[in-house]
Formats: sequence, structure tokens, C-alpha cells
Amino acid sequence: MTLLAWWLVRAQFRTRRAATLLSMLAIALGVALGYAIHLINDAALTDFNRALKTVQGDPDAVLAARDSAGSVPLATVNAIARDPAVLVIAPVIDTRVRIDRWRTPFRLIGIDVFSAAAVMPRLLPRRDERAATKSIFDGGVYASPALLDKLGLQAGATVTLVRGEHEWLTTIAGDLPAVGPDELLLVADIAWVQDRFGPVGAVSEGRVRLAPNTDLASWRAALAARLPAGLLIRAADDDSTRVANVSRAYRVNLNVLALVALLTGAFLVFATQLTAVAQRSAQFALLGVLGLSPRMRLLQVVLEGLAIGVPGALLGLGLGYLLAIAFTRLLGGDLGGGYFLASAPLIVPELAPTLGFLALGCAASLAGALYPAYLNRRQPLAQALKMGFSQNPRAGGAIRTIRTTRPRGLRPLLLVLVALGLAQLPPIVELPLGGYAAIALVLVIGVGSAPLVTQCVFGWFAGCRLPAAQQIAVQNVAQAPLMAQVAASGLIVSFALTASMVIMVSSFRVAVDHWLDHVLPAPLYLRSKGTPLPQELLAALTRPEAPFARVERTAYGSLTIDSQRPNVALLVREIERSNPAARLPFTGPVLASPADTVVVWISEPMHEIYRITPGQTLRLPLLGSEVKVFVGGVWRDYSRQFGAVVISRDDFLRLGGVFQPTDLALWPLPGQEALAGDWLAPWTSGYGLELADSAEIRRLSLSIFDRSFAVTYALEAAAMLIGLFGLAVTLAASVWLRARELATLAALGFDRRMLSRAVMLEGALIAAVGLLIGLACGVAIGAVLTYVVNPQAFHWRMPLEIPWSTVLAGAVLTLLAAVVASHYAARQTTRLTVAQVLASAQ
Amino acid sequence: MLTVADLAKGYPGAGRPLFCDLALAVAAGEVVALVGESGIGKSTLLNCIAGLETADSGSIRIGRQALDIVRLDETARAALRARSIGFVFQAFHVLPTLTVAQNIAVPLLLGSVPGGEHAPRIQTLLERVGLAGFGPRWPASLSGGELQRVAIARALVHRPALILADEPTGNLDPRTATEVLSLLLERVREQHAGALIVTHSQHVAQCCDRVLTLTPDGLE
Repeated sequence: MTLLAWWLVRAQFRTRRAATLLSMLAIALGVALGYAIHLINDAALTDFNRALKTVQGDPDAVLAARDSAGSVPLATVNAIARDPAVLVIAPVIDTRVRIDRWRTPFRLIGIDVFSAAAVMPRLLPRRDERAATKSIFDGGVYASPALLDKLGLQAGATVTLVRGEHEWLTTIAGDLPAVGPDELLLVADIAWVQDRFGPVGAVSEGRVRLAPNTDLASWRAALAARLPAGLLIRAADDDSTRVANVSRAYRVNLNVLALVALLTGAFLVFATQLTAVAQRSAQFALLGVLGLSPRMRLLQVVLEGLAIGVPGALLGLGLGYLLAIAFTRLLGGDLGGGYFLASAPLIVPELAPTLGFLALGCAASLAGALYPAYLNRRQPLAQALKMGFSQNPRAGGAIRTIRTTRPRGLRPLLLVLVALGLAQLPPIVELPLGGYAAIALVLVIGVGSAPLVTQCVFGWFAGCRLPAAQQIAVQNVAQAPLMAQVAASGLIVSFALTASMVIMVSSFRVAVDHWLDHVLPAPLYLRSKGTPLPQELLAALTRPEAPFARVERTAYGSLTIDSQRPNVALLVREIERSNPAARLPFTGPVLASPADTVVVWISEPMHEIYRITPGQTLRLPLLGSEVKVFVGGVWRDYSRQFGAVVISRDDFLRLGGVFQPTDLALWPLPGQEALAGDWLAPWTSGYGLELADSAEIRRLSLSIFDRSFAVTYALEAAAMLIGLFGLAVTLAASVWLRARELATLAALGFDRRMLSRAVMLEGALIAAVGLLIGLACGVAIGAVLTYVVNPQAFHWRMPLEIPWSTVLAGAVLTLLAAVVASHYAARQTTRLTVAQVLASAQ
Repeated sequence: MLTVADLAKGYPGAGRPLFCDLALAVAAGEVVALVGESGIGKSTLLNCIAGLETADSGSIRIGRQALDIVRLDETARAALRARSIGFVFQAFHVLPTLTVAQNIAVPLLLGSVPGGEHAPRIQTLLERVGLAGFGPRWPASLSGGELQRVAIARALVHRPALILADEPTGNLDPRTATEVLSLLLERVREQHAGALIVTHSQHVAQCCDRVLTLTPDGLE
């Protein structure tokens, strides 16, 4: 039996080489894309976590301020240190400084060497004895090897560290041998850092190691109850969770896209196997007559599906590994998503996920082979032996073949209602699973409705008087809806996917474009990349000789609302409380706030993630305490996915905050635009500030946007190719199936050109049906992506914009490509030896 | 080898049953011809005996164990065919993607004949049907007569109790038909199997031990 199965598999591979190889490639492509995305994300997250571990060490819990402007009082650190459950608490000051005239600020971590040895051993410095430098206690700073390399410095070099107005002239005393090769950071003694840059009497964090056998959860809960409102105690695991959450939705989205590519591969296996079963129905019937049981006939087709899936998936794993390396080199570890540093992480495959993707490839192939296998099992032997394949064996076998299938219209309608219902579901585990299910269902409806659409459209045409070749083509399509369905299925799925992505990306791009109009009102923007702007500059801008008509200042900070989620951005802006809409693109009405209440305006992602609505009063962790604020409205923000809060500078000052601007929006005086740049030049070069005009920011923003969708374009192209392969393979098989019919036509006087033209026209008609359904599905999926997946996964809402010209041009191009693909099938007709075919009974 | 009793078969909407209360028997080593008009139900009867179609009632007992194929499920029917029945068709039905030797080996594989016996059996049969040295060849390179010889070898290789042949010479020229028929009868008798041959040919019928005619009223 095994030998016979092997003979049959080998025969299938030998006789249907092109179709089998294409199916294998399609599976390989789907697996490769999914596996590559997994490897890249895994490597990026591992890298990120490694960097996090280096800096944070291995504490049980971290005590921190909830507001980036806040800090942890030393008194609190000392009180916790006295807790018998605490083995050690390592205080840390984590800040950013510029080194000499370098524009980019670098991370400076102030540590207490004794406690750091227990909690953060990788941050321990190594003094360079040869350079006879200062020790850490004497004010020496230590740089990571990567930073030394980047700055071109050695131990013993004198550097100036700058943060805002504060400067520290110090010496590089050595390096940080245990820090990773990509990490750029400085370490110094905490007392020196505090003395030079603050905060006075406080630290950024206290990293706690608990005594053995202490219950972390109950200890945390007890401490949290005692802590002041501006502080939080978070588990070390929270940071890893937060890192994973940063890119989770993006990763899931890319994986879903890769799965769709795999699904398209499964459709191609379906097409190949169904046509293979149809072609060999007489052979399988003969084997059945000779004693091959129905179960074995089913298993044979399943085995053939596996024989496509296993090598396809193995090939996909290899290809995926290579793609991962290539993608990380081209796009960085976040595939252009902008979540992690752009350095290429090390790709290390692991066994379990590798086996998982192997299984996924095999499962896709198996899924594609199941229905053909079922049909093969159900074929009535005697009839199949005489009359060939029957697509509806239960309904009466070969007598009621392809020509009498009645498509049902009610079922698609019901499924449409189910899809609509799924799209309405709220996010599940914070992922748009209902939306993804709705997309899958739309594809199923699309593929399932192909026979109905085919019969409706071409049934009518078949009744018209047409030239002979055209009549043959139209009748074949109209009367063989299953074949049309098989041929069109790959095209429906791939075109729907492509059209939907084009629609979603276009909607997003148009929305971002409009949004940029609103959020970039000034001609010039100046920023200091996280460190406060120098007071001298701010003072100079207020002098009459400054060539600016208007200057608006913003200070950036962050708030921890939930320790397991990424921080929410805090924007302190010079904005009019009475007219915030002049600067913020609100999505709804702006509510007037009570005069004595602090008002904030929250971004759309914050509204979605934390379910906060306008008019609500909430407590925000601001300036070391919980402040009651009124939510005045929700504004659109496409740059911060995890939420942002805007507060007016006046309210912030009233709460006792220190306004330290980091960004400026500048309106040069009329006619003094060029002078404005010159006037700012000494500041930008002297303090490493970034100056950009709004057009440049717009250009850069849109290029980042386009980059983040680069991978999706690659997936779409792959899906389209698979779809076209599917069409070519199925048409070729259908020519083979109808060899006798075509040979009879040839004997009756059709020349080969007419037959070839008929087959090509048939391909074009099927492609047209596929594209028509694909377009409808694409618009539906585009709407689901725009209205459901984007808001639920990324918390961004936008209006639907269908770029009809692009979509229709894509459809026409695909139709032309389909005609070219049909040419491959049409060539089969020229290979038919008419006499031989007519003489053969099989 | 074959005992059919009270067999009835009809199709829904066909008006009257194709046949009913049909009875026939084929003994070991006996070759029986089944003749009758086109459409009378000869092939259907053959299909019912092979378990390819289900009879409405009656019994069909095959082989030494006299299993009633009507009562068996689909899988058991397939197993019975693999073990006890050999087939020869008008249209040859040779698997084009397997070599001649592989085609002949199929019933051995399905009937679980020990692997060591395959090559000698195939070799012997190829010689007996006049195709020595044809084993590695592909069916596409063979003539109609040669294909039917392959089919005969395949029908006999697992030493079945019953051979069912449906117009085995229908696609052959008279000379080749005579050769193929003699070969079939010779080998069937040699293996002491029973055979039921559906035919329209008087010549074929005359070569058989007994002739049964299927009429609307039953077997005569």
C-alpha cells in the first residue's frame, strides 16, 4: 500500500510538474513571509529586552515616578530600604545628556556601585588603569564600548556633558565591559550625577531586590497602598510586557497578512489538487475497482497535499530565514514600523516556532487538499470509470455533473450578515480578532459566490449569438462554475487583499496628509530631542531683534497610567484654553471646562485605550500627585499610538510645574524667513538642536509612513503572483480535462488558433469574474481594515478613501496579466494530438 | 466461485426494475458469457457483482468464503475485490503514470501479497501473456492489444477466485481479439478461477463454457 501510494505521489509530481511546483512555491512563500516576520520580531524583541536587562538589571520590582517630570524622593527610597522584606534597593538617576557638540543626546545612568553590583551587575564600570583616570567616586564617567567607538574617544579623554543649562566637564575613566555591543550609554556615580543635573534629594528609580521567600504580589500591594500618588511600584516583568505591547498590534497585523498569503497558497493547493483529482478520476476509479478502499482514496489525495506541503514548508523556512536577514538589513528590526532602534538584530531561529511554521505550511496544504480528497472519496466508481469526474457525486453522480450545479444565493447573504456582526465585535485581548474573522469570512463569501456570479453573468451571455470561439468560451465558463470558482479563487483572494490594502493605506495616507496640515501650522520647528532647550535661546527669542512674529513653546514628558502599557505622552503647550481647536485637530465637539478645573485634551488613541470620554473628570498622575482634570475633547493624533494628553502651559504652571520647553513652533516675520534660519544657526550648531521647516517634516513623516507599509506591499505582490499562478494552473488543467471536447471541436473544423483564442478568452472571463468579486471583497475588507482593525489595533480612526483610479488600474493590469497567464493554458491546446485524444477512451 | 440469488436492481424514475429475482452461478474453472441487448443491464449486473453498485435486494456470494457482497460496507467490498476479483475492461484502463510492471503489481499491493512474491509473479505473467521484457515500459508506448494483455495479467496476478470481464475484446481488431480471448480463457482455466464475460460478440460467447442471455424477463 505504501509503495503504491509512493508510486502515485511520484507519478503526480512527474505528470503535473508545473502545477505541483507552483503550489509548493505558494506554500513556501506564505511560510517564508510568516516565518521571516516572526524571526525578525522575535530578534528585535530579544534585542530590546536584552538592552532593557542591561540597564535595569534583574530587580524584583521597580519604584518610579508616574510622571516623567517627577522623581522618587530619597526619603522614600531610604524608608523602603529599611523594610525587612527588602534585601537591597539600588537607586538610579536615568537622564539624557549631550556630549560635547554631538546633536544626539545619550543616556547617562547614575548608579550606586555597591547596590548596583547586586541588582544591575552589567552596569558596573571598568577603570582603565593605564590611562590613570579618576575613579567613579572621584567623578569619572564610563562609556559603553559602542559609545566610545561612535564618539571616537578613549579612556582619559575629557568631555563636557550638557543638559539644558547645566554642564559637567569630566573625564572618561573607563568602559562598561558587560554592556551589549549596540548599546550607547554612560555610567557615573549617582551622587555626581545628582550634583550636576539633579534632581535634588531624589532619584529617577529605586530597583528593589526582595529577601528570599517574600511574596512579591502582596508586598507590592501593601507598598502601593502606602506610596504617594505620584509614585508607583511595578514588577520587573511589567517592563517586558510593555516592550512586547509596544509593537504587538503591528506584529499581529503583519502575521495576519502573512497568513493571508498562506491562505492564498492553500487555495492554490486546492486548485491543483481538485484539478488533479478531476484529471485522474478514472484512474482513481480504476484503483477503487481493483480494491483501493474509499478511505485510502481520500488519504491518497491528502498524502499528495502533504507531499506538496512538507517540502513547500521546508523551503519556506529556509527562504524565511534568508528573508529575515535581508529585511532586517534593509528595514531594521521593526520592519519599518518605527518601534525599535533601526539596527539589524541577530536572527536566531528556535526549534518550537520553526516546527510551528512547518506545521502551519503543512496544515495550509492539507486544508487545500481536504475537499478534493473528500470528492475523490465520494466518486461513484463505475460512473467515474466511464464518464470521468463528477463534482456533485452525492446528487447522482456523473449524470448530474458540472452543468447542473445550482448555486444558492441565500447562504452568502447569511454569511454577509455574520461578517457584519463579527466586524461589530469589540477587541478581544486588545486585538481586532472579530475584524480578522470578518475578513476571513468575506474571502470565503467571495470565493463561495463565484459560481453564482459566473452563472448570473455568463448564463445570460451564453444565450446571445456570438462568434464560435467566443461562444465556446462563454458557454464553458457559464456551464462549469466549479472550475471557474477554482480558477478564480486565488485571484479573488489575492486581488481582494491587494485592493483592501491599497484602500486602507490610501485612506490612512489621506488622513495623515490632512492631519499634518492641521498640526504643522508654523513654517519652522526647532527641537532639542528630549533635553530642555537652553534658557539663553528662549530669552533671546523674546527680544525685539529676534526675527519672529510668533513663537509657541511645548514641553514633552510622559505619564505612566498603567505600568503594563507604554507611557502616555504629556504635552505642555502654549495653547488657549478657550480655543484649543486652533491648534489641535479635534474629532468631536470641544467642551467648555469649569473655570476652576484643570482641563486636558486627550488624543484619540488615549480615548480608545483607556476608554476616557470628553466631559469626564479623571485623576492624572501629574507633578508627584494625582490631579483632578476635566477632559475637554479628543483630538486626532497619528504620531503617538499609545496616547497623549495636552495640557495648557498656564494650567501646568498653576499646578506648580516647571515649564521647560523642548520644542518650538516659529513664525518668522514676513520677508525674514531666510534671516530666521541664519539667526537660529548658532543655536542649532552650538546646542545640537534640530531645525526643520514644515514642508520637510511633512515629507519626512510621509516617507516614514510609506516605509512602514513597505512590507505589506511585498506581501501583496506575492499574493497577486500566487493568484495568477493559480489561474494559469487551473486553466491548463481544465484544458486537459476537456481534451476530448477540444479535440472533437478540432476535428469539426476549429483551427488551433480558434481553440487557443477560446481558452484565452475563457481565462479572461474567469479573471474578470475573479476581479469583480475580488474588488467587491477588497472594498469590504478595506472598510473592515479602516473602520475596525486600525482603530482596534492601532487606535487610529480615519475616513474611508477609495482610490478608484489606482484600484481600477490595478484590476486592468491584473486582467492583462491573467490573459498572459491564460496563454500558458492555451498553449496546451496546441499540444493536443487530435487523433490520439479522440482514439483514447481515457 | 459466484452465486447470485434473488437479485433485484432498479433506478428511481425508470418505471420498472432493470432486473429482479435474478439467479446465476459460476463454478471454479468455468467461463460464462453474458449476452443481451444494449441497455438491458449487463454492465449493471457486472457492477452489482463487483460491488460497484448496490443491488436493491438479493445476495451475491463470491469466493471460497462465499461472502455476500450485497451485505458488505464499502470498505469491505473494496477488500473483497482486492482479494477475490479480477477485472478486464473494454477500454483497457491501464494507469498511464505507472509502468507495465507497476500496473500489474497494483492488485498484489492492494491484496497484501508478500513483497517477495511480486517480481516472480509479474515476471511469469508477463511471459504468459506474451509481454516478456515489457515490465519497465510505459503504457503510452503500447498498442491496444498489448494494453489488454497487461490488463489480463493485472486481473490474474493476485489469483482471484472470479474474473469479471466487460467486453474485453470490444476495442480490438478481430485477429488481436481472438489472441487476447484465447489468452484470457487459457489463463483463467489454468488458475481454476470462475469468469463472467459480458459480450456482444457471438465468437466470444461461443468460446465460453456457457452462455447466459439477459432479457427483460431475466436470465435465459
